[in-house]
Order: sequence, then structure tokens, then C-alpha cells
Amino acid sequence: MKERIEIIRSKGLLIIIAAIALLSCSQKIEKPLPVFGEREVINGDTLFHTIAPFEFINQDSAIVNNATFKGKIYIADFFFTSCRTICPIMKTQMLRVYDSLKNDPEVLILSHTIDPEYDTVALLKDFAQRLGVSSNKWHFVTGVQDSIYKIAQTSYFATAMEDNSEPDGFIHSGAFLLIDKEQRIRGKYDGTVEAEVNLLIQDVRKLEREYAGKKSAQ
Amino acid sequence: MKLALLLGITLCFLLVACGSKDAANNSQSSTKFTQYYIQGERLYLQHCSNCHQKNGKGLGLVYPPLDSSDYMDQNLPAVICLIKNGSQGEITVNGKIYNQKMPGVPNLTPLEIAEISTYIYNTWSHKAGLIDVKQTEQILVACTKEMKE
Repeated sequence: MKERIEIIRSKGLLIIIAAIALLSCSQKIEKPLPVFGEREVINGDTLFHTIAPFEFINQDSAIVNNATFKGKIYIADFFFTSCRTICPIMKTQMLRVYDSLKNDPEVLILSHTIDPEYDTVALLKDFAQRLGVSSNKWHFVTGVQDSIYKIAQTSYFATAMEDNSEPDGFIHSGAFLLIDKEQRIRGKYDGTVEAEVNLLIQDVRKLEREYAGKKSAQ
Repeated sequence: MKLALLLGITLCFLLVACGSKDAANNSQSSTKFTQYYIQGERLYLQHCSNCHQKNGKGLGLVYPPLDSSDYMDQNLPAVICLIKNGSQGEITVNGKIYNQKMPGVPNLTPLEIAEISTYIYNTWSHKAGLIDVKQTEQILVACTKEMKE
């Protein structure tokens, strides 16, 4: 009799555990990544902050603009090749990002030089080749200095400017920005911290799942 | 008989092992070496590892590796000079050509350069032993002269 009660008890416990497991599964709908920046509501539609129109030249002398990233997720950053402070770390980390998604046609990388005077197209080409990365996946762009600074500050919320008191003559943030297919900012990560870059790599996948979910819902 | 032979071999091994430990004592485990090495690691992480990486592997063909480098093996004086004065133009390391300008760190003292050198020449695949401040000073004087000429 005692044994029986114990069996019934253990069965009951099993059912409770199964129920909890089921519940936790059904709650596993992923929370979408946040959208950064100001938003406006016009006629019931929410307008989010998006990357302003831009046009730069990449390491192959090809024009790179918003259309280049149409229907793509991309990761943006600001650097310069002669920088010895945070850029080498950023490039080491971005290379990890590149390796994690080099076979993924949905994702691109956009690195802006903030020293276009020194970082010519030829120099950027050499730099990209030395990193061993492909130009149609990772764009290194140069352009008019003011346009680069302006887009950094106003579109990507990243600091980039000349400052003679800095060791290399520039002040800039080491941020990596995750941009979605609607050109909205969905994540900001410190490109000098390995753990944050790991999170970025995970968030790229998360964003891809978000789009995959939308597709299957249609 | 066999036991004696085995004992003999073991003894030989022990002797050899102890002998090599003695040699290491002179270079890699003296107090002076340890002081140089610990300071050297700190300075390496402060001035060098951004580009050459903590693990000394460098980055692609942009920054050359230090962990295993025929250039380092063959050019100790040049390495000491370029830590202070930087380096420009092509440099061949392990058969690969690198061409990224390296800024020097001119405010490093000869002792600090000796410490960094001791660290990089005794980490990863390197076992060069202590690189002394006097030796470093002489090399630095020579390369400063060369630069002026």
C-alpha cells in the first residue's frame, strides 16, 4: 500500500515536471532586438530612426551606398589603418565576426575610415587583402571626411572627429553597430570587448530568425 | 642484471634532467629574469599586444607574428631598435612580406625595452634567456648613431 502511494506520488511529480517543461517551451518566443534612436508616430504608423542616405567608395573603387545594403543586415564601424590604439583590437574582433558569417549571404560588413586623407582606396585595398577578406562581404570605404563624420554622429550615434590631443590625432568610438534590413540600428556593441562581440554574433542570428519568422507568417 | 641496467638508465635521465634545470637557472628562473619577465609582460600588454595580440600571433598579413618568428630569431638588435624607434617599409617574417608602419615608443627607457625583449624572447616558442639592460643600452646607442648618419 505504502509503495503504491509512492508510485502515485512520483507519477504526479513527473506530470508536474512535464507540465512545467511544456509551459516553458511555449513561452520561448524570442523577444525581438530593440530599435535604437528617436521614433515618431504619424497616422498610427511608427517611424523609426534610420541611416541617412550616403555614398562612399570602397576598396575596389566601387560606389557603396544605401542600395548596396538593400535587403541585407550589416555591421558598421569607424576606424583608420594607421591607428594603434583601439583599431587593431576592433579589426581582430571584426575578423571574428567576418569568419562567423562569411558564408551567410544575408549579412555584410561596412568599415568607414575616419582618415580619408591617409587611407586611400589603394591603401584600403591593401589592408583588406592583408586581412584576407573578400570585398563583396566586407566593404572598407572612404569619402569626404565631413560626410563620414556626419554620418557617424547623426546616423550611427558613433563619435568620430579629429583631435590633435589624441595620440593618433583622432577621437572615435570602438562601437560596432548592427543595422537591420530597414536600415534601423538594432544593436550597439563595444568592438574592443570579446564578450560584447560574441553577443553581436548571437544577435545577428537572432535578427535573421526575426526575418525568417516574418517570412513564414506571411 | 636487467634491473641494474634500468637503474643506470634512470639515473642517467635524472642527471640529464637536473643538468638542464641548472642551465635554466642561469637564464630563465633567476630573480632578475623573473623581474624582467613580469615587467616585460605588463609593458607588452600596454604597448604591443593591441597589434601583435596577447598570444603573439599578429593579425593576417597586417601585423607580423611574434610567437614564432625567424625575423626575431635572427635580428635581436633590430628588434630592440624598432621597439624604440618604430619601423617603416617592407619586412619579411617567416617568408611573408608585411608592410604596415609600426610606430615606435620613444619614451621607453633602456630597462623597459630590455624587459619587453626578455618577455617576447622567452614566451611562445622562444627561450633566449635574459636580455640584459646593459646589452640593450649598447644596441640602442648603436642604432641611434646609425639613424643620425
